[in-house]
Amino acid sequence: MTLYGQAIISGVLAGGLYAMMSLGVSLSWGVLKIINLAYFSFILLAGYGSYELATSHGWDPFVTVLAVVPVVVIVGALLQLFFEKVKIGEFESLLVTFGLLIMLESVARSIWSADFRRIPSTANPYASSSLKIGDFAFPTPQLSAFLTAIVIGLLMKYLLDRTYFGKAVRALAQDRDMARAFGVDHRRVAVILSGLAAATAAIAGVFIAMSQALFPGLAVEWFGIVFPVVILGGLGSTLGALGAGVVIGVAAAIASVAWGPSYAPLATFVILIATLLFRPEGLFTRKASV
Amino acid sequence: MNRPTVVRLTGFSVLALALWFLPALQGPLGFPIFYLLFGYSLLFWFAQASSWNMFTGFSGYFSFGQGAFYGVGVYTTGVLASKQGWPLIAAIPVAGVLAAVLGLSLGFVVFRLRRLQGEIFALVTLAVAFVVAAIARVSSTIDGGSGIALNNVQLPEFLGAYPSMMFRLGLIIATVTIFAAATIQHSRLGWGLFSINDDEAVAESLGVPTFRHKMMAFGLSAFFAGLSGAVHAIQISYITIEDVFSIRIPLFVIVMSVLGGMRHWMGPIVGATIIHTLTDRLNRASDLELFGGNVTVSLDHLNDIIIGLLLILMVLAVKDGLWPRLVRRKWVGAGAFIVGILVARLWAPEMSLIGQFVAGELGAVVILLPSSEVIDRWRNWRSTTGSPDAPSDRPGVGASR
Repeated sequence: MTLYGQAIISGVLAGGLYAMMSLGVSLSWGVLKIINLAYFSFILLAGYGSYELATSHGWDPFVTVLAVVPVVVIVGALLQLFFEKVKIGEFESLLVTFGLLIMLESVARSIWSADFRRIPSTANPYASSSLKIGDFAFPTPQLSAFLTAIVIGLLMKYLLDRTYFGKAVRALAQDRDMARAFGVDHRRVAVILSGLAAATAAIAGVFIAMSQALFPGLAVEWFGIVFPVVILGGLGSTLGALGAGVVIGVAAAIASVAWGPSYAPLATFVILIATLLFRPEGLFTRKASV
Repeated sequence: MNRPTVVRLTGFSVLALALWFLPALQGPLGFPIFYLLFGYSLLFWFAQASSWNMFTGFSGYFSFGQGAFYGVGVYTTGVLASKQGWPLIAAIPVAGVLAAVLGLSLGFVVFRLRRLQGEIFALVTLAVAFVVAAIARVSSTIDGGSGIALNNVQLPEFLGAYPSMMFRLGLIIATVTIFAAATIQHSRLGWGLFSINDDEAVAESLGVPTFRHKMMAFGLSAFFAGLSGAVHAIQISYITIEDVFSIRIPLFVIVMSVLGGMRHWMGPIVGATIIHTLTDRLNRASDLELFGGNVTVSLDHLNDIIIGLLLILMVLAVKDGLWPRLVRRKWVGAGAFIVGILVARLWAPEMSLIGQFVAGELGAVVILLPSSEVIDRWRNWRSTTGSPDAPSDRPGVGASR
């Protein structure tokens, strides 16, 4: 039983990371009506940035956040500004960001090659350390990622529910034209929101670099996790993404322990199809709006 | 069969029959064997892009599922022809049927859901490729994670030596697929699909059987993708899950069709020709050395960057693709093609035939893509200002179109 207990723990902890990876896609799809696959490349490039700083410049992996996040935020905001400029539709955005994903993956491949890249253990003492409670281990990178995800989730929730900015975001999500008519500056809200989403993606990238090996193909592989989380959590829902991340993480971890790691994608896909069939608005939202 | 179908059938048969004897001419004409294999890969992309476009291009439902259907085809050959010892010829139709079964069962679930129109459909089909890959990885009868070597497959000897055989197999499948796409476009099914593309709710209320049309087109599209994948397994010769189910197949068929134009069966053909010849040349080109040899740029990496950039530009700027422009400006396109070839010959006389062809293509693309708007505006301006040499038979061409 310890095995399953440990599987559930690592699933829950991974769920936090999944939520951070999915938040960008979920918010920009739900609120801005842009399916932005470029967030996958942001996560990947943030991870490589963190890897580079920790390996070649001896930064502490946690400190690399300070350098990586601002860069990714600027890129994310500029990309959104570009989308606003060309007035992109929901469907075109999927294709355009798909092209962008392929380009950035290729850039990563030409800089860091297709091999696995991992921060050496001398530069990254956290990878092998963990907090032990009884028989169960809480690896430091995953635990801190989970706690960060909760903090980010709560902050986002506060921002969206309690502030004027959040009101503007919700208004845009419900009815863009009406919100505009009432004086919501669509472009400003969109750029700020994309910046925040990009920051979350960058933080996720740093945690990924801390806990596992990087390779360019990851960006496409994450798709199998992020998409179920986004649908299950409900488009544009922050705490929904967190809950869905945990559900997907636990399901994948249990499937890995019970049948083998190759079964994890099957488990997440079954959950995805079941959600689409029976509760297309997501598990954690009350209504189909937002 | 109505008359246009008969004409089309005759045309396709004559063309295919003529190409069928191309491998036999290899000796007398003395062109390198490589051209036959190059021809095969071109025909492979014709079949893949056409099969994708006969569903997605006509109906507007964006499918990333091509990778899954292609993969089912590849692995059917892997399992039946290599592991079970079937002859390749017997495995190919089974591959098509299995891919069609996958497509139909997927369609049966997703086409019933109102919510799955549009973007979510695209993403579900992308997820399907991951799942098929996962199943192949865990099942030891299919792959089991170690890959399959196809060196013991019983090849159809009567089609000739390996290069001729591949070329002929590719030719058969590409011809059938393109013929199917052209026939669908001009049939009731095609009109139904185009009406779904324009407005599905209106189409349905006007009595178009949207569910049945989508199922038929999706099933056929999967069928041809599977057929073509089954042959391609031989070309790959060592199949692994990572390569077969990678994002490359959906990416390439999308870029090819978007570039060529998705509302006509010729679009994917034009797009596939351009993309395949271009990427082939880039793959074979030696590394560029810039700044006196200090910076080396490998053109392999540029390949994906060009493909991605092309997709972005086409989607944002040139929505209807190359084919409609080519039809409207045949002579401009042909002229630019010839100029491109001449420039390539003067600049680099030792350039290969394919290289010259690429140069011609690039010339035509560069002229055709931006020129349409410019020429239209100019014509429009001339006809409104009443210039004496304005073409009197086409008043106000341009903005109205």
